Amino acid sequence: MERRERLLLGLQYVLGQIAVVLTASLCFLFVRLMGYRIRDLKRIRNEVKRMYRAYDGPWIVCPNHLTMIDSLVISYGMLSLADHILHFRRVLWNLPERKNFQRNLFLALICYLAKCLPVDRGGSREGIQRLLEKCCRVLDWGQGLLVFPEGGRSRTARINQENFSYGVGRFLDEKSGCRVMLVYLRGDGQERYGTMPRLGERFTMTVEVFDPGGVDGGGLRVQREYARRIVERLAGMEDEYFAGCG
Amino acid sequence: MSVEQITQKVIDILRGYVKDSALLEKATQETHILKDLKVNSARLVDIIIKCEDVFGTSIDDDEADRIATIGDAVLLIQQKAA
Repeated sequence: MERRERLLLGLQYVLGQIAVVLTASLCFLFVRLMGYRIRDLKRIRNEVKRMYRAYDGPWIVCPNHLTMIDSLVISYGMLSLADHILHFRRVLWNLPERKNFQRNLFLALICYLAKCLPVDRGGSREGIQRLLEKCCRVLDWGQGLLVFPEGGRSRTARINQENFSYGVGRFLDEKSGCRVMLVYLRGDGQERYGTMPRLGERFTMTVEVFDPGGVDGGGLRVQREYARRIVERLAGMEDEYFAGCG
Repeated sequence: MSVEQITQKVIDILRGYVKDSALLEKATQETHILKDLKVNSARLVDIIIKCEDVFGTSIDDDEADRIATIGDAVLLIQQKAA
């Protein structure tokens, strides 16, 4: 990674930290205004806090993906407003698709300050490589990365075990010190994928530490196997969610 | 193995991953696997792993990252086989 890129990434983090009182407050205000609630919020935040206390190194957080604001709701569910401000290091780096937010300057600024690293889907090899280097750099800093292992919102509204992305496997293969946290988030009314959850949505959120285990061999096969195991367990969490609804 | 033979085998492998098989009929060495054949990046990884199996070679991350077109894949396999 070039020195300039490293400095720019560091600058993004510092500016984000300076602005976190404003950006986190805005995000929390948004969640409140939309009437979103998460069941057992306090318990979930305590659970996440325990996980961070047990391991202060880099986490790769892998959720299911149904709406465009999942990462925001997950951040709200994982950390209190005070924790966002006092432990900005624990706020996850996120990888949104650039075209989804860069048309709106305000949104682009908020995303920049909220630790977003834009992805150009189908972009140049150099661009993808630069993004991977940035991700590895933030993991080297001991910070967390939010990666949707499905690679996009699930078109069937269920975990897609056939057509998922292997990016998360690459991070696990390259960065052996990372731990994996799985998050399953679903609103009561989320019957299909969409842009935003409905007003007043009530979410169920479950978090768990996942050990992907070892994989023999090397290279792309290892990455695919890690990603497969993560997606498989997420599908298991989804089954548990629906079993609990019944 | 000649370039033509490798190309044909690569196209045969691609057949399992390209939804619109008509796109493969006019495929050339310059055909971009992601953009022209509408294959997503995860499936490109599957294609590369399949190529490893079919051609009995191994392709590392950096080499895989360099594969964008059919020609890139053919050239890499040819170099590995040499």
